[in-house]
Amino acid sequence: MSDESLVEMRHIEKSYGRVHALRDVNLTIRRGEIVGLLGDNGAGKSTLIKVLSGAVPYTSGEIRIKGKPVRMTSTNDAIAAGIETIYQDSALVPQLSIARNLFLGRELTSGHLGRLDLDRMNEVAADLLKRVGISKNIPPTTPIGSLSGGERQAVAIARAMYFDSDLIILDEPTNNLGVAETQGVLRFVREARDTGHSCIFIAHNIHHVFQVVDRMVVMRRGTVVADDLSPKTSSIQDVEDVITGDHILV
Amino acid sequence: MSNPSTVSAVHPAEPGILKRFIAKPEFGPLVLLVAMVVVFTAINPTFMSLNNIGNALTFTVELGLIALAMTLLMTAGEFDLSVGSVFGFAPVVMWAFFNAGLMPLPAAFLVAMLIALGIGLFSGLFVTRLGIPSFLVTLGMLLVVRGAALWLTSGFPQRTWDAGDQWLAKLLVGDFYVGGLRIYMSLIWFIVLAVIFHYVLTRTRFGNWTQATGGNPGAARNRGVPIQRVKVILFMLSSAMAALAGIISSIRVSAANPNSGTGYELEVIAMVVIGGTVLTGGRGTIIGTVLGVLILRLMRNGIVLIGVPGLAYNIFIGAIILGMMALHAALERRHNAGT
Repeated sequence: MSDESLVEMRHIEKSYGRVHALRDVNLTIRRGEIVGLLGDNGAGKSTLIKVLSGAVPYTSGEIRIKGKPVRMTSTNDAIAAGIETIYQDSALVPQLSIARNLFLGRELTSGHLGRLDLDRMNEVAADLLKRVGISKNIPPTTPIGSLSGGERQAVAIARAMYFDSDLIILDEPTNNLGVAETQGVLRFVREARDTGHSCIFIAHNIHHVFQVVDRMVVMRRGTVVADDLSPKTSSIQDVEDVITGDHILV
Repeated sequence: MSNPSTVSAVHPAEPGILKRFIAKPEFGPLVLLVAMVVVFTAINPTFMSLNNIGNALTFTVELGLIALAMTLLMTAGEFDLSVGSVFGFAPVVMWAFFNAGLMPLPAAFLVAMLIALGIGLFSGLFVTRLGIPSFLVTLGMLLVVRGAALWLTSGFPQRTWDAGDQWLAKLLVGDFYVGGLRIYMSLIWFIVLAVIFHYVLTRTRFGNWTQATGGNPGAARNRGVPIQRVKVILFMLSSAMAALAGIISSIRVSAANPNSGTGYELEVIAMVVIGGTVLTGGRGTIIGTVLGVLILRLMRNGIVLIGVPGLAYNIFIGAIILGMMALHAALERRHNAGT
């Protein structure tokens, strides 16, 4: 982890009509760190993530990436800025193959008519699957629909790593996964960090968060109430108290 | 993929060629088609006569052209009920302009096609921008377009018998003989377009986007796929193909009837789903659609030849749809059970 900041959010506000979803949110993500984003339902986590991934426009405030101010108006802007968001249900297309999913929206083509270079796509995908170490021998032409939940997360994370996203946002990546699969996904997240990617890790299961993050950020009622909780110095009980508002640690 | 022998060496657990073939969505319709041909020919050998095959193929393509475009649209998760109306409306427009002496036939053809594209554009924008289900939007368009055709013509067919010496008419529906088999140009168009559509769906970026748009629109959008544009283009395509099919039909039967094409939308959708394309989107097959087109058309032709009353046709079609859906569902369950 370095001290160099990758993403800085300053005074971000977001209102949906009269509902104030985000109030004066300030958050910095440094290079090569895994940040756990915690908060109860309705605390503003998912709105914050949507703002950062370009899915919803923010009302006011500033986002800087690598020091430069950016204006994010679409998911394409976020992808171009190096931010990759992996949502629970809308990361992959179940009917398409692993290779086609990896390159969705950024397909390798040859010639002018958008002809897919399927040979190369499959080759790169097979290589990538081997590198991320998906245990079973899965051909890259396998449809996503026949993979397990953990394997799907692995494919989505591998995709973000392949396209060299600086920041990978994982929305509930361990939801509905078994114990072994959860450990696999946590391993991918660590691997992503160790190869220089920053991650924001959102999970309801605080135990999973504790196992993998470098620091924790807690949101409550649309604003950040703690942003430097360490899993080494705080207990799960401490963090839960901050989430529910029983204690203010900062 | 470039070297299948290595692939099978690395993945010995992969199912054999036969098993994979059976698991394909096109397998069911192929078996049904072969069975139909065998049964019909056994009962009445004229079924396989050149004359009958030529006839059956001619009728096949007009609905088939629409089914090709509908396959892509349904793969993207939408469908279009207005194609039957456009099938009737486009030729009416073309012949009305031509017969009134306003413009030469090719220009009238272009105008009719542009209007059809406009209808598709309208439906597409309505569905994507307002978020209204395509069932409702295209049901509305079905009535608007059919109403326009009837109102423009006061309900009377437009005459088309000046078409014989037009190069455009020859290009679209001219005929020639291969041995004893009479082949219409429209069949050639159908084959060429089927190959192109198959290629687009399976081998191009647009095809990838089409499948992703129907399979998981949220994921496609998150990856920067312009799902609204994909849908609008496909609505325009299906409308244009319906217009082309209607124009071809009007030249062949020498009449542009404002009522023609009524009910075609459902028959086209039936062809597409029988072939294995999923109504809810994400998975589509042009090969399956071609099989579905042949199944419905040969069924219509065959049951008459073997002496079943023509009026009973719909019973068979309905039964085929139900049977095929049950088969696809069973295959789907088996496919997912292994995971």
